[in-house]
Amino acid sequence: MSSRRSRQSASVSRISDDQIIELVSKLRQLLPEIRDRRSDKVSASKVLQETCNYIRSLHREVDDLSERLSQLLATIDSDSAEAAIIRSLIM
Amino acid sequence: MASLIPNLEHSPDTSPEFKRKKRRKTDETPGPFDRNQGSQRIKRWRTEREQQIYSSKLIEALRRSRRTSSSAPAKEVRETADRVLAVSAKGTTRWSRAILASRLGVGSKTMRKHKRAKVTANRRLRKPEINGEKRKLPAVERKLKVLGRLVPGCRKVSFSNLLEETSDYIAALEMQVRAMTTITALLAGGGTQPPTDRLGSHINS
Repeated sequence: MSSRRSRQSASVSRISDDQIIELVSKLRQLLPEIRDRRSDKVSASKVLQETCNYIRSLHREVDDLSERLSQLLATIDSDSAEAAIIRSLIM
Repeated sequence: MASLIPNLEHSPDTSPEFKRKKRRKTDETPGPFDRNQGSQRIKRWRTEREQQIYSSKLIEALRRSRRTSSSAPAKEVRETADRVLAVSAKGTTRWSRAILASRLGVGSKTMRKHKRAKVTANRRLRKPEINGEKRKLPAVERKLKVLGRLVPGCRKVSFSNLLEETSDYIAALEMQVRAMTTITALLAGGGTQPPTDRLGSHINS
């Protein structure tokens, strides 16, 4: 481990085992799918892959939602809609 | 709130303008204290209150921008949503600062040129080093890079910072999705019969 550290350049470093453990434990808490699975058998690569996929799917969802929101905002432009939203948000 | 201010003062050089001038990694990881702050921040994204604040800010911003704009409404909604989300982060995270900085068109494009040059140079240097395990290490590192590209402003941050930013970013994105889903459902309901699953049944009483 120490030799690996001393060889580190200023740019990208090699990933040490500790970092991999940290990565796996942290990201496992975030990802809804992996959380329920058995704990030992998840590799760092898979966790990273799942994380990237999850972020991409979240982006896509936001895009879809913006698409729908823009359509809805174009058609519905009444006071009642906004009033309902505001009321529900305040409560 | 006061604890957030020292965080900002400690890292003036992580702002997008200064980031590129230093070759060294400027993102130190201050340690366990910062992680507690991080997890508190993440929990904040999951509260109902934060979602409501975001929703109302988003609606207000959308209403303002609809009056002025005309082109590509969906993309604009997306950008507004991201911007309001970044503002909600209150400048504590790198991804939020990157989103806001890119809106202003400041220097992010010139930064990308420098980054590309560095990355290819690293690849050339690294290949002769890795003889045996060609698949293990680079795979993880490759995916880390992909992750760094997905989270805004995090292409060249240190490992633990990237983890921190990713956690916060995912929590914020989830809140964004929840808030926009709720707003969409409310608007689609036409204002007469909004759904009562999330927000209780106070509305029609």
